Parts: sequence; C-alpha cells; structure tokens
Amino acid sequence: MPPILEARNLSRHLGEGLTRVHALRNVSLKIEQGKTYSIVGHSGSGKSTLLYLLGLLDRAESGSIKLAGQATENLHDDERTELRNRFLGFVFQFHFLIKEFSVLDNVMIPMRKLGIKSPKAMKETGMSLLDSVGLADKALRMGNQLSGGEQQRVAIARALANDPQVVLADEPTGNLDRKNADRVFELLSNISRERGNAFVMVSHNMELAERCDVVMPMQDGRFLPVES
Amino acid sequence: MLMSFSGIVFGVGFFIVTQAQTSGFQDFFIKTILGVDGMIRVEDRFQSTMRSMEAESGSNFQILLESNVRYIPGVQFPERLMATIQRFPGVVAAAPVVRGSGMLNANFRAHSCRPYGIDAEKHFQVSDLEEQIIRGSIEAFKANPYAVLVGERMAQRLSIHPGDSVLIESHKQNRSYRVAGVFETGIGQVDKERIFLHMPAARILLDRPNGASFIQINLEDPTKAPEVAERMQASLSHAATSWQWRERTWLQVFKVLRISSALTVSSIILIAGLGMFNTLAMIVIDKTREIAILRSIGYTRADIIKIFMYQGLIVLSVGILGGATFAAIITYSLSRLPIRIRGIFASDTFIVNWDIAHYLWAAAIATIVVGIASYFPARKAARLEPGVVIRSSGS
Ligand SMILES: Nc1ncnc2c1ncn2[C@@H]1O[C@H](COP(=O)(O)OP(=O)(O)OP(=O)(O)O)[C@@H](O)[C@H]1O
Ligand SMILES: [Mg+2]
Repeated sequence: MPPILEARNLSRHLGEGLTRVHALRNVSLKIEQGKTYSIVGHSGSGKSTLLYLLGLLDRAESGSIKLAGQATENLHDDERTELRNRFLGFVFQFHFLIKEFSVLDNVMIPMRKLGIKSPKAMKETGMSLLDSVGLADKALRMGNQLSGGEQQRVAIARALANDPQVVLADEPTGNLDRKNADRVFELLSNISRERGNAFVMVSHNMELAERCDVVMPMQDGRFLPVES
Repeated sequence: MLMSFSGIVFGVGFFIVTQAQTSGFQDFFIKTILGVDGMIRVEDRFQSTMRSMEAESGSNFQILLESNVRYIPGVQFPERLMATIQRFPGVVAAAPVVRGSGMLNANFRAHSCRPYGIDAEKHFQVSDLEEQIIRGSIEAFKANPYAVLVGERMAQRLSIHPGDSVLIESHKQNRSYRVAGVFETGIGQVDKERIFLHMPAARILLDRPNGASFIQINLEDPTKAPEVAERMQASLSHAATSWQWRERTWLQVFKVLRISSALTVSSIILIAGLGMFNTLAMIVIDKTREIAILRSIGYTRADIIKIFMYQGLIVLSVGILGGATFAAIITYSLSRLPIRIRGIFASDTFIVNWDIAHYLWAAAIATIVVGIASYFPARKAARLEPGVVIRSSGS
C-alpha cells in the first residue's frame, strides 16, 4: 500500500536576519495508514516545524509533500485548506475549542465545512465521537465548562470528525497531568488503530512516544538514524 | 457592538428625519411659490441689435456680437402673445396681469400697495389664489367689478375686513373699492403689499388702457419650466423666466440645507462605522486562535471573511430596520408638531415629506459604511497564517 503521506527533502528556515535558523534540513519521511508514529527530540530540534509542514499549515522552501497521492506544494491555499478538511485531523497542545459553542457544536465544526452529512447525521456522528472519548454526557456544555483533560478529549473528537486519514498531534499531552496524559494518548492511539488512520505525534514524553509503532528522533532539523 | 448598533439606528433614523423635513419644507415652499407667481412669467419685450466685427483685421471671418439688448417694459399685445403661448407643448393656462403701485387708505391709515389687475377666471388657472382666500369669498370678488382682494398682513395692519370700503390712490387716480376677501399666501412680501383688482378696474386705476405687465403661465410639469421658458424666450422675443430661476436664491438655500444636514447626520453613521471597525478589529485580535483552528480544520480565507461580514450584516440589517422604524415614528410625530411659520410660506405644523428615496439613501450610506467597517477586519482575519498563530500560542 502506498504511504498516505510522503515528504521528500523538506527544507525550511525560520526567523529573519540574526535570528534566522535552518529549522529543517532536507527531511524525508513516509507515513502509512494504520500505523502510529512519534517524533521526539530536544526543544528546538524542528519537530513542530515538520508537523506544520506535513499538516499543510505552512509551506516548505524546498521539497515536496504528497497527501493521499496528491502533490501539494503548488496548490492554491483554498485547495490545501480543502485537503486539510478531508484528510487531516489536528490536535495541538492547546485545545483551541470555541468557547461560545457547545461541546457537540465544536465537534461538528469540521463536518459542517465538509457538508456531506445531513445535520441529523452530523449530530449522531458527533455524539458517537464524544461517546468514544467518554464525554457524551457533557455534549451540551459550553466549550469552557470542562477541565483541561476533557477539553483535550473534545479536541480529539473534533480532529476525528471527518474520519481523517492522518491525525497530526503536536504535544497533545503537554498540558496534562500524568493520568490525563495517559488517557489522551491511549485514546488517540487506540482510536487510530481501530479506524485504521495514521497517527503522528510530536512528544517530549518518551514513555508515551515509545508506545508508538515508529519512533523518529530529531536533532537540529534532521532525523537521527534509528537502530531497529 | 451595541454602541455601533445604536449609532447605525440613530444615524439612519436622523438621516431620514432630516431629509423628510428639509424636503418637506422645500416641496411646500415650491408649492407656495407656484401657487402665487406661477411657473413661467413672460414679460418685457426685447430687441437685440446685432453688430458684426471682423475676427482679425484683414480677415473676412465675421463674429456676431450681441451688443445691445434693449428691453421694452411689458407686453404690448397680450392676447396675441397668449395665443402663441397656448400652443407650446405642456402649457396648461396663461393669464395676463397688469401691475402697478399705489397707496391703499383705510381707517385713516395709508399703506403702499401693488395692485395686480387680473382676469379672475384665467388667473385662478395659473395660481392658487382661490384657495388662499382666508376671509370673505371669491364669489363676492367675481360679483363686483370694483372689488379688491387684500393680503392678510395688510388687512391686519389697516384693520380691513371683507365688506369694508377702501380708497386706492395711484399717481393718476383715486378710487374707492369694496374689499371682497383677504388672502394669505404665507409669503410675507406678497401678503403685505399685493392687492388684486379686476383687469378693467386696474386699467382705469393705473391708466393703462391696453397691454399687460406680464403673462403668468402654468405648465403640466413644473420641472420642465426652464426649458419651456428658454424656448419661449427664443421664439417670442420676450423675456421668459422660470420659477427655478426666479426663486433660485431660496431653492439654493434649501438645497444647501438638505446636503449639509445629510452630511452632518451621515457623520453619525460614519462614527458608528468607526466604532464597529474598532470592535471587529478587537474581535479579530481576540479570536486569532479560533480563526487559526478554523483555518486548520478546513475553513478557507473566504469562509473567515464571510463569518465576519455576517456579523456586520446582522448589525446592518437590524440597524437599518430599527433606524427606519425610528425615523417613521419621529417623522410622523414631527408632522403633528405645531409650529407657526410665516414669511416664505404659511404653515402651522412641521412639514414632512414621506419619500422612500430617503430610506434607500440612508440604507445605502449605512451599507457602505458598515461594509467597509466589516470588510477590513474580516480581511485581516482571513490573512492570518494558521501555522504562525498555532506555533506562537503553543509551547
Ligand atoms: N517564529 C520563529 N522565528 C524564528 N525562529 C523560530 C520561530 N519559531 C521557531 N523557531 C526556531 O526554529 C527551530 C525549530 O523550532 P520548532 O518549533 O520546530 O522546535 P520544536 O522541536 O517543536 O521545539 P519544542 O519541543 O520546544 O516545541 C528552533 O530553533 C526555534 O527556535
Ligand atoms: Mg514544538
């Protein structure tokens, strides 16, 4: 099976003038469906930079990214946005819930944009997603009436709303205590295995990172060679 | 947002109200002056003597110079002229007037006056004199060849009542007439000086056995008066002036008033727009994270613009609706408000003009202002790079 997400020779500088750094140096990788990946490394090694490029939230200076067989580097912003909507799900360190919306409405935002399902079907999907993150009973609360761990679980449900092929997570457990971190990670990796989507996680938590199928250590904008 | 919203409501409301008032007064002023002096006045025959001149010395190209336009006061053959005037398209009626000056004596007091000799039936077709009679009656005037109609102010000053006898002196004559009625036009000068006599009586009083001072003309469409007057002047060899030209000073005053009140009141809408711009710009800053997450989830830049424009649209439509309702209520109340106006017209209440155009204009101005006030913050929101925002709000 061809990789769902494939990056070749990605290069990216960040900053201007004196603060300009070579954040990514010719990074290549392949992400296959049904597998879980973790990217680890010291602070500033370029993990987030890589994840944003893979998530089509940023553009590389050189190199190419193929998502679901489609080359993305020359696409218009609107087309890249549509690809994000259809194929990608994001979980960030900060949950980014919209606090004026209910939990269920937050989960439905990606489905509304995709516009395939009927409102009723969207609601049902939203409820079943909330059920799978254990928050079905809090569906009608406002986004800010939840604990940090619960909010992050809502963000996971939202990331899964359009049944994405790839879930990208940048330190999804970074703001959580041990117990919640564990729970959020378990949810993400289990759901990904069940659904068969790829899961890529940037993490400082080595213990969690090592529970992924593939661990990719980074340093100074490059992958380190791994034994195994 | 509430501030900007009420700004839009009041801005739209006051815009409509001020327009309703100024245009109401303007229309009433026009109705008054048309009812008094008619739409076109043809007077003073002119003879222009053309002189030609060489364009350059030695060239045989000649320039025609209108060197001397000689005016001969009055209309020499009114019947003939009126027959021609009647054939102009759009002319409803034409009436000759003989005008002079004199003194009116009553109750041992004298007052200067301007006698107008009229052909009653014809004159009623070129003026609203019939409706302007406030005391006495038009029948009494028609019935008596030596009847006179006097203006309200003069009647007041000299304590004249219908049925009284008054003495009118001109430089030639000294005759007594019976007051048949008192009229009020609302125009101060007219109500103070003008008196109406029957044409034959006026001819005797003013010693003008023939001719007329001017011919007053009524048209189907008052807006056509300038063109018709121009054509009359060109073909009749008589000076013809339209009401627009005659009353240009006042018309100008009204126009300036309308424009300046529109501008002043639009500034309320403008300030509301600024407030709204401010609020939306703040919301954009406040909601950068939400905007970024929406962008990462799959909302395009156009979607983000739509979301923000939608906010503006709600404020706009509710604001216009509220403003228009507010304006309609105020306009109605104003039209009931007693106020005594005399001088350029006579009215005992505020005069308003209900015109859908005022509402449309107010809506258009509000739409432009709110549109701009929403578009720029919306565009700023749409330009946010989700990656940059998420990176800076992360670890
Ligand atoms: N806006 C920026 N301007 C300049 N340099 C930046 C900017 N953002 C990141 N960098 C630099 O780019 C490099 C890679 O940053 P990146 O955020 O990818 O690191 P990271 O591996 O995610 O680190 P962390 O584990 O702390 O999140 C770092 O050296 C960082 O200092
Ligand atoms: Mg990072």
